[in-house]
Formats: sequence, structure tokens, C-alpha cells
Amino acid sequence: MMSVDEHWQALVTTALLGTDRREPPEAPELIADLVADTARTSPSERMLAQVASTTAVRRAGVVPGPPLDELAMPDDDNRPPCVPAAIDRWHHITASWPVLEDEWTLTLVTAGWRIAPELLPAMLVRHRSDPVRRTRVMVGAGSTGRWLVGHVPDLAARHANATVTPEALAELPELPISPELAQLVDWSGAESGGVLAQSLEDGTLGHSHRAMMINLLARVRADALLDIADILGAVDSMSPGYGLATVLADLATTRNRMLDELST
Amino acid sequence: MSYASGWGMVGTVRDVGTSRWSIEQVESVAPSAAAITAAQPLASPTRWTGLGANDAALWGSCQGSGAEPYDTMVDHQHVGFTCTCASRKTPCKHALALLLLWARDQVVDTLPPAHVSNWIDRRSAKRTASSRSADAGSPAASEAAGSEPAASESVAPETVDAGDVIGESEPVPPMPQPDRNTARNDRVERMHAGLTELDRWLDDRIRTGLADPSLARYATWDDLAARLVDAHAGSLANRIRRLAGLVGASPGWHDDVLAELGLLHLLSQAGRHLGSLPGPLADAVATSVGWQVKQADVLCGVPDTDHWVVAGRSDVREDRIEVRRHWLRGTSSGKWALCLSFAAYQQSLDTSLRVGTSLHADLHRYPGPALRSLVGARHALPVDPVAPPSQTIAEGCDEVGSMLVVEPWLDRLPVTIRARLARSGEAWALADATGSLPILDARTRKFDAGLAMLLAVSEGRAVDLTVEWTPHGVVPLSIHLPDRTVDIGPRANTSFVSAA
Repeated sequence: MMSVDEHWQALVTTALLGTDRREPPEAPELIADLVADTARTSPSERMLAQVASTTAVRRAGVVPGPPLDELAMPDDDNRPPCVPAAIDRWHHITASWPVLEDEWTLTLVTAGWRIAPELLPAMLVRHRSDPVRRTRVMVGAGSTGRWLVGHVPDLAARHANATVTPEALAELPELPISPELAQLVDWSGAESGGVLAQSLEDGTLGHSHRAMMINLLARVRADALLDIADILGAVDSMSPGYGLATVLADLATTRNRMLDELST
Repeated sequence: MSYASGWGMVGTVRDVGTSRWSIEQVESVAPSAAAITAAQPLASPTRWTGLGANDAALWGSCQGSGAEPYDTMVDHQHVGFTCTCASRKTPCKHALALLLLWARDQVVDTLPPAHVSNWIDRRSAKRTASSRSADAGSPAASEAAGSEPAASESVAPETVDAGDVIGESEPVPPMPQPDRNTARNDRVERMHAGLTELDRWLDDRIRTGLADPSLARYATWDDLAARLVDAHAGSLANRIRRLAGLVGASPGWHDDVLAELGLLHLLSQAGRHLGSLPGPLADAVATSVGWQVKQADVLCGVPDTDHWVVAGRSDVREDRIEVRRHWLRGTSSGKWALCLSFAAYQQSLDTSLRVGTSLHADLHRYPGPALRSLVGARHALPVDPVAPPSQTIAEGCDEVGSMLVVEPWLDRLPVTIRARLARSGEAWALADATGSLPILDARTRKFDAGLAMLLAVSEGRAVDLTVEWTPHGVVPLSIHLPDRTVDIGPRANTSFVSAA
């Protein structure tokens, strides 16, 4: 007696040729019972009834395939994964403030965290071409990163043989900042925030200076960020620079929180 | 189904009177699905002048095919429509387009022009007059005096003739009501004829064989699909179009196509004998064939109240529509439910259900033993993190099999299992000690973000997963970790939908 699977193969063979050329196979008992009460006379009608019944039976009888060997797991990495807040921050940074991403990765590595597994595919895809950033990600990813790339070749680096110096790896890239703003980098938050807020309110700084101010806030002292965010957040809402001040306050807040989340 | 009861039920979820409508609410007042389709191209601000809205009405002039633009007004608080176009449908496509624009936040709030204010005032006066006459004429009115009006009454819609001329002060004569039974019988007859034709077509395919070159021509399938659409068997038409894509798609395509032809035969036979089927099965067959059920009717049904865990989400492009499936599992009942949302180009999908949260809410199921449901009243804010209970792969297969016994034609079913990733040759699979399940398309897709995420998060260990079973393999949707759930289901391309 044919099994249901064998009967199905016989039906597929008949269906390929068509019932004009080949009679439908004899149904096994289980299927024959299901289609026995039909008044179908033509071979094609009998065939359709068998196909429908056999499909329904095979679907309802879904069974697992054979057990499979386990995958070799990645080597242990003692570093803790970064916290969920840092994961969310990375998504916010890459969507809104990509200027902070280098610092996010570098801070994570130097503070002894590893990149959370759920960030790895996105980070590996994002940094396939730039050798410095790629290397930073691989250092942050550790053994899980190498294991993952081994299983998913699409995550591999585009230029596998690129060399990166330790200095390049450990330094943030230089960002262009105009000389008059560059002096604010080392000022306290109250001082630099005050200058920025005043200049935005009186229109000395405007949208044409936006990129320079973003670069400035990405490099000012970390302990100045909170004050700068507060002062920019308090800019007169009737002044021409209010919108820009709000945006820059978000950047300062984001960077401050980022550094907090990645601090040891 | 009257609009009144429909809005009454929708009103349990959101206050129709004061808040912006959702796209689904707009769809629920459309006279037909075709009306929404016709309205979509007009739902663009470039087609309108003088657009405006306030807390009572929407208005604007739409440049149509005529020389003069059509002046359209919608009373969104008490649900009424008027337009200077010649359409006999209420609401016409211009009113629907105006509502769609508003639902998408593309109509600015402003002061209404005089003719809009006059129209709203006239409608208000009519409501007051009819309310007084009803109070006077009803013996029960005096007994109910002082009690709160029923929800359905408070948002009872009033429609006006689509051809109503703006500024006209005479009462509009009521539209003759179509004979609903005649329309229904006509529809059943057309569907029956369509199913008979489908069976004849299936018979031809089986006679001439799957090697027949005509199967490789898209027209072979598309012509039949078009006829099924005419016969009000839209779901079967969609199946036929999907089936056309299977021809030649894989080395084993003959297997897949033959199985689908068998299921189509099953549905066409069942659909032609609906009267002799048990009630729930008849409902399930009718829905699977394409019988449309209004959301308002579904929302009138008895709710299934539970703490619903949003276990997984998947987005799939079907023809020109992006379909989002949210799979929910009842914490008390253990039953699964499916909430669908749809988006055409540049429209938004539902983002109100977040994977890994639990929602205490009423779910209203479509007729029959359907998984498909609508979320009704929400009793509390979503809570997270929660995960549905997991099981072995063998137990998961049993659960899927049980659901397929009830409806063998279902081609996506949810199940939560505890499994690890494994390799079966070049292909990926989920495995445990009881067996394995192949992962859909993992071998052929260029880069599978969900699979990469599953690998990264699980690091080869067993994890709790909600997957979507399909006849060709499973699709991992979410990973349930002790402290959170990671949503890894296929996601709509944001270049197609405006929010995903």
C-alpha cells in the first residue's frame, strides 16, 4: 500500500502529463475513503478530488524534519553587552546625529563594553567599507562578530586586507570648526553655552553656521554638555535662532546621555 | 448594516465626534472597496484648492474631469457628505478623498467659509427638529427623559444627496433604498458562477497537464483572476495571482502549484455548497473565497476579552499593497488572533501594536473559526515585556496541524517554539531534539536581516521564538528574551510605505 507521500508523488507525475495522457493513480485507502462518495466521472474530476484531499491531509499532518547538529558557538567574551538604553541611543544617533557615531563606538570599546548582539548585523552592514570604523566595530563585537561574519558572508568587510594603525583606531576624526567657534571647545558649559545662545538670539550665528556648531558640540568638553543643553533650551522663543537652538540642545543632550550610558 | 451601528461600535475605540478619523474609519463609510480605490488618486493636496477643516467639517474644491471643480464638504462629527459632482454614490469619491487627506493630516485647520458654516448650521437645525419630533412622537421618550443618549445615537450619521447643491435651503429628498436582498442574491449568484468557472478552469489545467506552456503565460492566470474579481471572489483572485508567481520559481514548483490547485478546488467546491456546510465552516469558506464583511459588522460581534500578547509581526508585499500581520495570543485562552493592516504606496501601516507587549483589550473575530480579528476597546495601556509560552518543534507542528485541520487553505499560521538555528546543507533551519523546520527562503535570499539578527542574538543557543509557519518553511518573527522581545520579522520597505 502506497504511503500518502508516495501517492502525492504519483499525483504530481500524473499532473505533469495531464489526465488526457495518463489516468489518475489509484488512491490509498485513507484518501480513497475521502473521495469515494463523489459522483465524479471524468479522470480530471477524480484527479482534482484526490489532489485536494491529499493536500489537506499532508498539510494537517505536518511533521518536523530530522533533528540537526548544533552550531558551534562563538568563544566566550567576558565583556558585558552595552545596556538597552545605549542600543536605543545608537539608533537615534545614526538616524539624527551621525557625527556622534565614532565617539559612541570608541567610548564603548574603551569603557570595556561589547556591542549588544542585536546591534551587530546593522553595524556590520553599515560599516563594510571604511576600514577604521569596521575595525572598531569588530573590536567592539568580539568573538560574536567574527562568528557571525563566518556564517553570513554578506556581513563581511568589502576590503578584507585593509590595514589600520592603532593611532587611527584610538582617535576621533578631526571635524572642521571655524576659528571663532574653535576657541569654545575648551570653555566651560556656562561660558560656551552663553556665547552660543547670545549669538543665536541676536542672529550673529544662523543656519549657515549650523554644520560648524554641530561639529563644535560633538567635540566640546563632556562636562560642558549639560549646561550647554540647558542654556540653549532657554533661548528666547521669539528670537530668529530659537529653532536652531532647540536642535543643538538636542544634540548636546544626546551626547551627554550617550557618554553617561557608556561610562563604566 | 447601517452606518449608525458601525459608528457606535467604532466610537468605543475612539471618539468619532472630536478626533481625526483613521484610514479604516474612512474605509468603513465607503459604499464599496472600489470607491476607496477611486478616491486614492484624488487624495493628494495638489488636486484640491480651498482645503480646510475645523472641529465639525472638512471642505475643499477638487478639480475633476469637468470644467468646474467639485465643491465637497464632509461633516465628520455627525457624519454627512455633500458634493457638487454627479455621482449617485454617497459618499462620492471626492468626499472619500477629502477624508483620506484629513486622516493623513494633510488638511489644515482653519475658519470655515460662509457656505460651509451655513451647511453645518442647516444640518444642526435638522437634527434638532428631528430630535424634537421624535421626542414628541415616542411614548417611551418621556420615560427616558434625562437619561444619556445611546452611543450609536450620539454619532448617528446623516447622509445627504451626493448631488446636493451647496447653499440650497430646501430639504433634500431621501435616496431610494436599494433592495438589499436583491443585491445580495445577485452577488451570491455571481460568486457561484465565478466558482463554477474556476472549477472548469482547474479541470482544464489537470487535463492538459502542468507541463502545458500556457501556464508560463501570465495572461493565463490574470484573465481568470480578473473574472474572479468580477464574481466578487477577490480572495481567490489574489490566490490565483500569487500562484502565477510560483510557476517556474523553484525546481519543485510542480509540487507547490499542484497543491495550490487542489486547495482552490476545495474552496470552489465548498463555496458552491455553502448552504450544506456547518455554520462556522461556511463562514470560513465564504471569507476565504472573498465574501466581504464590513468592519462595523465585525465590531458588532461578541468581543473576546483577554490580555493579548503581541507575539510577532510580519510585513509582506502582495501585489501593490503592503500587508502587515500582527499575531496576538490570548494569555488566558491561549488562542491566536491575527490583526491585519494594509498600506498602498506612501500610506502608513498600523504601528499601534508593539511586539513584546501585552494588551488588555476586546478582540472581535471575523465570522467562522477565523484568526482574523479587529481590536475593539482597549482597557489599559500596553504592558511589557511579555512572551507567549513556548513548546518543542514537534508540539508546534501539532498545533499548526490542528489549525490546518479546521481550515486547510490557510497559508500562514503562528506558533511559538523553543529552538536553535541549525544548518541543513546550505539551508538554514530551526532545530531541537524533536526535529527541525526549514526557514523560508534563507538559502535564496541575498541578505536576510531577520536571520542575521537571530544568529547574533541567539549565538547558536536555543531561544524562544514566534515564527510564521508557511507550507514552504517558517519565517522567524520575534525572539523572546527574558527581559525583552526582539522584533525580527520582515519589515516593509520605507520607500514604499510612509511609516513602518
